Amino acid sequence: MTDSATPSAAGDRPVPLVEFHDVTVAYGRRPVLWNVDLVIDAPCLFGIIGPNGAGKSTLLKAALGLVPLVGGTVRFAGEPLARARHTIGYVPQRESVDWDFPVSAFDVVLMGTYGRLGWFRRPGPAERASARDCLARVGLADVADRQIGRLSGGQQQRVFLARALAQEAAIYLLDEPMAGVDARSQEQIFDVLASLRAAGRLVVVVHHDLRTAAEWFDRVALIDMRLVAAGPTATVLTPDNLRRTYSGQVELLREVGLAVAERGRTS
Amino acid sequence: MADTAGGMHLWAIATASVVAAACALVGTLLVVRRQSLLGDAIGHAVLPGIALAVLAGARPGGVAVFGAAVACALVTVGLVQALRAAAGLAEDAGAGVVFTSLFAAGVVIVTLGASRIDLDASCVLYGILEMVPFDTVPVGGVEVPRGFVSSAAVLATLVAVAVPTWKLQVFSAFDPDGARAAGVPVAAVTTGLLAATAVATVAGFEVVGAVLVVALLVVPAAAAELLVHRLHRVALLAVAFAVGGAIVGYLLAYRWNTSAGGVIAVVLVAEYVVAALLAPEDGCVAQVAGRIRFAWRVAREDRLAAVWRAMEQRGTPASPRSALEHLAGWWLRVRGRIVGAASLSAAGRREAEMVVRSHRLWEAWLGRHADLPLDHLHPPAEWVEHHLGEAARRRIEAELEHGRGDPHGREIPPEA
Amino acid sequence: MSGGLPCSAALVAAASGLSASPTGSTVIGMAVPGVPYNTLVVACGVAAVGCAAGVVGSLALLRKRPLVGDAAAHATLAGVAGAFLLTGRRDLVSLLTGALVAALVGLGALVLVRRVTRTRDDAATAIVIGGGFGLGIALVSGITARGIPGGGGLEHFLLGHAAALTADDARLLMAVSAAAIALVVFALKEFTLVAFDASFAAATGWPVVLLDQALVTLVAVMVVVGLPAAGAVLVTALIVIPPVAARQWTDRVGTLVALAGGWGAAAALAGVVVTSARPGLPTGPVIVLAAACFCLLSVVASPRRGWLGRTLRAAAERRAWAAGLLLDTCLRASERGDGTFTVADVTDGRTARAAWRTLEHEGLVERLHERTADGRVPRVAWRLSGRGLDRARQRRRRAADWAAAFDRAPAAARERFSLDLPECAIATDAGATRAT
Repeated sequence: MTDSATPSAAGDRPVPLVEFHDVTVAYGRRPVLWNVDLVIDAPCLFGIIGPNGAGKSTLLKAALGLVPLVGGTVRFAGEPLARARHTIGYVPQRESVDWDFPVSAFDVVLMGTYGRLGWFRRPGPAERASARDCLARVGLADVADRQIGRLSGGQQQRVFLARALAQEAAIYLLDEPMAGVDARSQEQIFDVLASLRAAGRLVVVVHHDLRTAAEWFDRVALIDMRLVAAGPTATVLTPDNLRRTYSGQVELLREVGLAVAERGRTS
Repeated sequence: MADTAGGMHLWAIATASVVAAACALVGTLLVVRRQSLLGDAIGHAVLPGIALAVLAGARPGGVAVFGAAVACALVTVGLVQALRAAAGLAEDAGAGVVFTSLFAAGVVIVTLGASRIDLDASCVLYGILEMVPFDTVPVGGVEVPRGFVSSAAVLATLVAVAVPTWKLQVFSAFDPDGARAAGVPVAAVTTGLLAATAVATVAGFEVVGAVLVVALLVVPAAAAELLVHRLHRVALLAVAFAVGGAIVGYLLAYRWNTSAGGVIAVVLVAEYVVAALLAPEDGCVAQVAGRIRFAWRVAREDRLAAVWRAMEQRGTPASPRSALEHLAGWWLRVRGRIVGAASLSAAGRREAEMVVRSHRLWEAWLGRHADLPLDHLHPPAEWVEHHLGEAARRRIEAELEHGRGDPHGREIPPEA
Repeated sequence: MSGGLPCSAALVAAASGLSASPTGSTVIGMAVPGVPYNTLVVACGVAAVGCAAGVVGSLALLRKRPLVGDAAAHATLAGVAGAFLLTGRRDLVSLLTGALVAALVGLGALVLVRRVTRTRDDAATAIVIGGGFGLGIALVSGITARGIPGGGGLEHFLLGHAAALTADDARLLMAVSAAAIALVVFALKEFTLVAFDASFAAATGWPVVLLDQALVTLVAVMVVVGLPAAGAVLVTALIVIPPVAARQWTDRVGTLVALAGGWGAAAALAGVVVTSARPGLPTGPVIVLAAACFCLLSVVASPRRGWLGRTLRAAAERRAWAAGLLLDTCLRASERGDGTFTVADVTDGRTARAAWRTLEHEGLVERLHERTADGRVPRVAWRLSGRGLDRARQRRRRAADWAAAFDRAPAAARERFSLDLPECAIATDAGATRAT
């Protein structure tokens, strides 16, 4: 489905910011996300919503090349991933991180500038200033030197958001940034995301909470192993669409996925 | 019997087999618990215990030595846990610190005390299987090597303990929390396994040396695990592999005039490699064969479906897209499934219809349940059509409930 | 992340200077009179290896693969013996080349087993150790049994024998170690990024697989150059133990790397010194024991993460906590009456008495002159001192503030509170996060 912002100007439509074309993703040989077609063509706050195990995070990881595509393509502003990486900021799920690692909050944010620096060059005064600035934007300037494990869950999440800010990207992809985060941090994170949107950035957020989704996001995509619907929040979050997303119609997809993994016919 | 050369070799082989069997039995549990490296760690860490016990006057192979080894094993695990608690150290790093340190301490003790004890650094590394037949005790009037007696006692003890507690071991290995909830004394079971590992290690120590004990413990079980799936079968097969490896290894080492311990380890690994290659379900050969079979089936089905579609539309079949599909076309002609330019035998038609049916059912299902434009339906179906079985097709048909057509308005063939 | 640079850079310069110019030898020879030049160079070579092993090992520890070198280390023995059989020579370069080939083959086998079979990582490692070391033992003992000339020295590669090294060998070890350290220093930023958050690194375009392969290869190289000193069985310890010890002292990557390098060098040096005094001892175990002593010391006594410090801090924290509660009780007791109270009024049990001693010691309570209640039994009365009163009232105010803040917005209050908590309490909090 093409979720076009300006359907009238079909002829000279702008190049979409993110374009998933027929994307199928598999873990090993078992497909977990089938044939997703999704176009996001204007800066906004975009939510990817769906039940647990629906493949929301997988979609993000596939977009970033962290899991291989079985089929389909992803383009960012018309460019393939390899040429668009410097325009993408990423906040991974918090579980993937070792909290005992010997780095401070400031060091983590500084890592956001590494992509710009390239091989072997060390961060200089400009990068340090930018990192300090980003840390201040998420309200954590006063804990900059604290080891990352000594921060609360919400503070850790804000540090990772600050790292993404330091990437100075045009497109931000966030994987469950609100999971396990206290309400104040949630608000603070949301404020930062809203300021990014105001600055003309696209912010794509994987999210599982339907209540907050309706109030936070301009546009959403409902996903449950396949794309159920996408578009403006009000038109997509309908009872019918939600039923189709949350009522487990994917049993068949799961079974066929297993059959594909077994590389043969199930009986 | 021990006084002839042949008899001595028989005793050495018998000892090696008994020890290998004991190690394989314990190792099976370590492997399924994913704690193989614990075997490695304990193999190294018992050295200072053995050395101190021998230095204090215990007889090699005596009960005191086994006791000291068990104590060392418990100390090792305790230290790893203490490092985790005190320094937040991950288990593998902690084990790396502890077992190398203890082994180093053991080597230093052995070297410094070498003049006073019957143990030196080379026997720690190579094992002393070749020496086993020379140190005998009378058992019922027959001179039996001391090493064989102690290893046989170890094996007998391990079997006697393992048989009644096997179920507990399996339960706590598979699901420790569930086992704890069900009242299984998981801590005791784990400690028991630890002690068993230490005891088997001391026995293995004589045969292959401290470092290669890990091969006796882990490799037979890892090989057996590739071939059978029930745990007691894994254990029995592992024991068989271990005994076979011990016998073949000893004979080859004799023939090549080298260390029996080293060759036994190499033979065990060779057994593993053969198992990995030839395992019937997911051995390498079976995997490659499965891949080839699947590619061949896809090529045949694509060819049949192409001809079937040509018949449906009264056109000419699309030309083959790969060399394999060419070959499949030729083969189907030879087998009489494809007849003439573009028609199918009855059997060929049935097969083709099932492929086309899978394809169109999938298109219809995707069109209904996924947010995909019409022109995006064909590629996924082209891929999935080879994977759908009869049950899946019937389910999709039931979910579609209406109409017999696909999204492009073509008819979906019925189930054969 | 810059603490480690000067030290490592100095070492690189020193080592490359030594390996390149003969003048370096004069300098060292003059520096330590009475020690044979050869011994000195060998000691420097082994120390350089220890340093580089610690530096490379820090990265392996941070990447959570501290034992990645173990399988490779055991496999090297087969490479050493194989190289000897192939070339018939016993010079260090060819033997270590053989060892490196074997180490890489062992690592390749590990990857292969993991990729094409169901066998899990731990068992795969054990299989490579068994196969590689078994083959090595069989080859070495076959060579020894046949009395092939020059084959006797191969056994030194099992447990290490630094005394067998020549000055040229030591220069080779120094050069390789210097190169390894230089590489780590150059790419510290990249290795740190991948170790901390591999998915972020991959998402931002860093070649994670390539960097991991580079790290594993570096570990293999260090294992190989560590062989002559530490031996195949124990060389892993050179990679694992110094970084573990160093981790206890710092929360910065650069400092960690530098400390691990320093301790690796010190342990290696200790091994050389001890074994030159006791020629019968193999070097490897002595180096490992020296490193283990550092490690034990660090785990027990390092100021921040050490067991001793943490235990003492936790006790002090408990004492302060109990004293605070007692102070609250004293305030309430003094408000009930005329501002005085007896010890028995406010304490019961041993903990409270310990807390009372703290209050007394800090001068938060003061003793009034004895006076008689009812004119008969002398009663020892106490009251809060001026400071004690201030402190107690301040505590009450803050508790009230916090309670009010918590009523307004629980989450925010909890966060502010966690910022106020002393270091120690937060450390335990982080520990709990890790454990879950």
